[in-house]
Order: sequence, then C-alpha cells, then structure tokens
Amino acid sequence: LCRGGLAERLCRLQNRERSAISFWRHQCISDAKIPSDKSGVLIVKILEIFEECTIQVAICQQLEQSPATLSPEDAVINAEEPILKVLFTRETAAHLKSRPQDVIHIYPPWQKLLLQNADVPVIMNTYFSQKVLLGEHSEAREKTYGLTKMLIRKNIISLAQTFRIDDLNDKLLQQSSDNQVACAPQTHNNGDSKQHPLALSAVNDSLLEMVESQGAVGWREVQVRVVIQRVYCLPAREGCRSHAQGNKPLCATPIADSGPPNVRLCLLVQDAYGMFSEVQLQSLSSTDDTEQFCRRWEGKSCCLAGMKILQRTTRGRALGLFSLIDSLWPPVVPVKVPGQSQDSEMMTTNLPPPSFCYILTVQSGEIHVEVDEEEQISNLYQPPAVHGLKEILRIDGCNERCSFWAQVLYRRLQTKHSVPIDQREMLLFVTDSTLQNVVHGIPKVVAVSVTASCVLTMEIIEALSAGSRLVFFKDALWGNGRIICVERTVLLLQKPLLCSAAGADLSELTGPVRLDELDSTTQANSVCALRGTVVGVNESTAFSWPTCNRCGNGKLELCPQDRELLYCNQCSEVVTTPVLKMQLEVFLSCPSRSQSTVKVKVWHEISVALFVLLTMLLFLQTYEVQSVLGKEVGLLNCYVHSVTSHPNCVVLEEIVLL
Amino acid sequence: STLPAVAEELLREIRKAFQESSHVPDDLLLGLKFIFGPAAVPALDLVDQRSVTRVRSPSGRTLYQVLGSSGKLYTCYSSCHYCTCPAFGFSVLQKSESLLCKHILAVYLSQAVGACQELAVSEEQLSNILLAEEEDEG
Repeated sequence: LCRGGLAERLCRLQNRERSAISFWRHQCISDAKIPSDKSGVLIVKILEIFEECTIQVAICQQLEQSPATLSPEDAVINAEEPILKVLFTRETAAHLKSRPQDVIHIYPPWQKLLLQNADVPVIMNTYFSQKVLLGEHSEAREKTYGLTKMLIRKNIISLAQTFRIDDLNDKLLQQSSDNQVACAPQTHNNGDSKQHPLALSAVNDSLLEMVESQGAVGWREVQVRVVIQRVYCLPAREGCRSHAQGNKPLCATPIADSGPPNVRLCLLVQDAYGMFSEVQLQSLSSTDDTEQFCRRWEGKSCCLAGMKILQRTTRGRALGLFSLIDSLWPPVVPVKVPGQSQDSEMMTTNLPPPSFCYILTVQSGEIHVEVDEEEQISNLYQPPAVHGLKEILRIDGCNERCSFWAQVLYRRLQTKHSVPIDQREMLLFVTDSTLQNVVHGIPKVVAVSVTASCVLTMEIIEALSAGSRLVFFKDALWGNGRIICVERTVLLLQKPLLCSAAGADLSELTGPVRLDELDSTTQANSVCALRGTVVGVNESTAFSWPTCNRCGNGKLELCPQDRELLYCNQCSEVVTTPVLKMQLEVFLSCPSRSQSTVKVKVWHEISVALFVLLTMLLFLQTYEVQSVLGKEVGLLNCYVHSVTSHPNCVVLEEIVLL
Repeated sequence: STLPAVAEELLREIRKAFQESSHVPDDLLLGLKFIFGPAAVPALDLVDQRSVTRVRSPSGRTLYQVLGSSGKLYTCYSSCHYCTCPAFGFSVLQKSESLLCKHILAVYLSQAVGACQELAVSEEQLSNILLAEEEDEG
C-alpha cells in the first residue's frame, strides 16, 4: 500500500476501529450491565428488517428514553416518533440477532447520513450496538427465538441504478476546465491572471500537497519548489505509460519504435520534505544535449507547476527508480516533517526510505519547469559518490547504484543484427588504477553490461568505438557480481562539476594496461591474456581476406568496371591498398591452464607491403603447418567465447584493446 | 432499495469534502468501509495509484478502464454497473453480496477526488474495446 495514500489511511482507521469493536464486545460480554454512560447513545426499536447485499437494513423508531422505564404495554408505535433506517453489517447483525420489536442501543461513534430525496435519515457505522432485553420473560423468548431461524427478505439491487455524484453545475465547470488544456492557459478566476497564468499562487514546498490538490479548483496554478537531484533520459517506451498493457494497446498515438531515438528528458526531484518525484519532460530528438542539461541543472532548484500525474509507483513496481532513490537516501540535510510545525528540532533525518513516488509529466504547450541556473547548488543535492572499481566489487548489496570512472578497453556488441545499432546491448570491459595496481584476488578488468534501456548519446557511442576512452559511469547498477548500465544510468565523457570523489584521482593509469592471465578461474564472456606454445593448427579454419583500409569493411567486391580491382560498398570507392586479414585457429598449450585445450582464433592484419608475398604463399598453399608448431605465442589479449568442462576446453578470440 | 441511495450520498459527500478542502475526512473513509466492506481499501489503493481512466469518444460515449493490481485492464461501463472482472461476476451478479466490485468503486472515487485520467479515442477504438470484451468471454 502507498504511503500517505487514502488506502493506507483507511487501513489505519479500520484497524483502530476493529480493536475498539472487539474491546467493546468483550466488555459487553463480561459486563452484562448496560454501560452507564448514556451520552450519544441512540435507542431504537426495530419495526422491520430486510437485507441488501450483506447489509441489514432495519426500519426503526427512535425512542426518546430507555424503554426499561416503560411498561411493555406502552411500547406501542407512536406515529409521531421519528423513523430511522439503521444499517448493520453482516457481522453486527449476526451478533445482535435482531427481530422486529427488539430494542437496540447504538453507542457512538455512529454516523447519520441524510439522503437527498428521502426524509428518513440513515444511521451507519453501527458497530457498537447492543440489544436490550425488557424484563425477565423476554430472556426466555430470546432463547426460543434463538433456536428458530428467522427469514429476512433480501432486496436484489438493480445494476441499472448508477450513482450520480456530481451536480449539473459541476459538470459544466469540469467540461470547461478540460477544454482549457487545448487553448491558451486561462484560470477559473479573473482576467488579470491572463498575463502570468502560472505565477499566481505562492510557491509551495511540498510535492504531496501539490499532488493531493489535483482536481480541486486552482490546482494548475500551484507551484512547487524542488531540487533536481538527477537528470537523465529514458527511452520513450518506458516513459509513455498510458495503459498500453492488458488486453490491447490503447494509446491514441502510436509508439514510434523506428526512426530517431525516442527519448524523454527526465528529472529526479526532491522537495523539502524529502519526497521524490520523477518529472518527464519533452521528448528529445537527439540525445546530444543530455550532458549539457546534466551539467547545468543538477543540484539546482526549480519550480514545477501544472504537472499532470502520470503514475504513482511503488517500490515493488519500479525497482530501477527506487534503487536510484535509495542511493540518495538518507537526505544530506534534515528534511521537514509533514503536519508538524517546523521548529528546527522537528526536522529529522531518521525517516525510513520512501516507498512510493509520483511520476509527473508536463501538460503540452505550457512551460512548467523553471530552473534557476544562476543560483548556487542546493544543500539538499547529493552528487554521485565516486568510488574505485575495487571498492565497488566489494559492495555487499544487490541493486546498488554506483558511480565510477573507468578506462574502456574493449567493446563487444551483441550480435543480433535485426536490432538497430543504438538499441543493441553491449559489453564494455573496463579498468581503473584500483584494479590495475592490485597483485592478487580481484580481477584486473571488469565487464560492464550496457542494456538497451540505458540511453547513450551519439558522442559516447562514437567515443566507445573510436579509441580507449575514460568514461564516467553515473548511477550504474551493481548486483549479483555484475555492473550493469540500465535506465537512469548516464555515461559521460567529461567530469561533472560536483563529485564527491573518494581519495585520489582514480582515472590515471600509471602503466600499460594488463589483463588477467588465462587460468582455471577464467569464465566465458571475459577478457584475458595468454601465452603458450602452438601444439596444433586447425587448417580448415585458415582464412584470409582483404579489407578496406578506410573503413575496415571485410566484404569487398570486385569492381564492375575493372575486375582486377576491389570495391568497397560502404565507402563507395575503389580500394587500392587493401589490408589483408588472416585468421587461423590454433591450439595452444598454456602453462597457466594446463589441463584445458585452448583454442584461439588468431588473426592478423598485414600491411600492404607484405600483401603480395603472403598472397603468393596462401594461394600457392605453401603454408606449412610444421613451421608453426612449437612456436611460442607471447602475451595475446583475447576474448573468451566459451569455457566448457567436458571436454575441458576454452575457446577464445584474439582482440585488440582500444 | 436503500443501499444504492446511501452509497450515492456517501460518494457525493466525499466529492464535496474533497472539493472544499482537498481532503477526505476520516469519517467518510470509515463510511466507505462500512458500506462497501472489503472492497473499500483496494478501491482506494487503485485511486492512489491513479489506475482509472475515463475513455471518451467524439460522439460522447464513455467507459472506464481500470488497471488492476495484477496488471490486467478491466472495463467498467458508465451506463450501468458492470465490470469485466471475475469478482463482479461472482460477488455482485451471482451472490448479490456486494453492490460494486473494487474497480467500479474506484471509478466513482476517482471521479470524486478528480483522479481520473482522461483518454480520447476514436469511435472505432471504443467499439473495439467493447467488442474485445465480448471476444474474450466468448
């Protein structure tokens, strides 16, 4: 259940009520006397009973005084006594076992409801009811009645009878306010507000109040001041959550999944009470500005107005969002406590982490977020805590957000070609000085998985394919021994302005990068270095092919005009100086993992100078296996494709680090 | 019959209280519990989660879609009390034990506190939603 919501409130109220009811019942049983406190007690005499759904409806006469003082003969229906309709729940009715002519005492708290078109008032919440027995003979009568079953008429309610809960006037008002979204912003009030439609009400500092005031008159003018804790992009599919689940997708506008990346810029904001909200802003056509927004907006205060509530989500439904919220909890400064007067002693940092979060979005056509860029960073802002990879690998939790600098050594894309390149998952092998400078116990290189939900800017994508780059991973997720970049993780090339760094600058590597050597602990989908002796060659895999020297395209074709020249489709030009790539699978004997058969696909690029000689060798099949056997292969950097135990085999592929 | 009038008045009171003070008083919440029993808390939870959408077509036809806690989307009619959820079929239709299911109650409560999401669809889309229900049950 949602913290602060109506359901939670009712739960609490209901629990209290239930305790009160059981306590009262217990008291009634143990103390057979009628409780002496008569204030607020309703005394009724039942005339007629019927049932509707599980509620028992008793048409009653209200008695002015306790009937114990009247003789049974006087207990005649007086036409002037007021008539009431008393409702009992099934449980209360079973407890009372009422019949017509019974007198019931109803103790507070009970509620009276006056219906619009009826004269007879209705009494509800009649949990604390007790039947009063008049005289001795009624006790005996009660016992005999208790044995016979009384049949109670049950009214079946028509489904056609719906409820009209709004007045006609309200209906009109609502229609006009609905139309307001389409046309220029107006308010319900007066004309002078047209100049500044949103600057009317004083600035609030509670998101919850703003959310709860939705639907009431004037809610669009409510402004809330919040601090921007994080800026990131979300893929539009996740952002557009408009009931497209269940039976059939219901979006009036189709979700575009082709074409330019559909992303929405989002802010994770926090108010003075510590409550979080995710604000989804406009769709971006390109993600290039994300880094700029991050730098300009994170940590600053901003005013939100006229937000529309997209969703109220809970911890169980949005693990990704809440892992980010948890990383920002507890707040670094004391936050206000709702409902209490704000003395400085009342502010506390001992609150439990949030269990719900509202996701807000902007109404179209109006500017609702005003960021005060000139102002200084707010005290409430928590910049990402940067750690070395060594520390991160030792974190003892699951779904923890972590931030770090790392050198990207090698990138491996998932090989599904049907998926567009910007939605592919990739594996990045990274390291930093904390991993490189360690002798034993932890890996030198760590794999970071980047899922499709993590939005990458074009700049980052290009940087990752070009060369070894220092990348800042903000709010990546650590769990189950893996680091993954998911939605709300941001990869940046430049250092954010404010970062709480732990210790010295971890990004500087003091020497050449070293990989872990192949050994018995090496696993699939990792990188390692190996050395060994060639013990065999898989001749059937010997292969060489020319590649384009400009773009590396391995699928060159013969030129249509001159069939002795090679042509590259991607560059649309003739390749005059192709680079020859050779590939061969060799079996190595590696001392570091002597029990396994190690099969490595090695490949080399040969410069154009050697091209002719080697072409001759290969085409003339003068390549001799014998000359290769026994050769020492020095430290090769490889990507591990698979590791199997039966047969004990490791299959790798030589790679070039970025 | 008494109960529908009582339920309607209770909902009206809730709407009035919310409009005046943006707050639903405790006694009205307890009243909901009294009248609607076990459906009250789940219905309020659906309101808290903003699970109710009013679907409107240009001709003025409306219906409600409620996103249940299981992730399933239920359709509630606006012209009569009907919901596609199994609880409605059982408790309301078969046993006449409840006035409404939690989804229909959530619809009314969402109206009362202004928590209904709005969705405008074409005539055809609305018809499809209605027909889809038929297909599933058939």
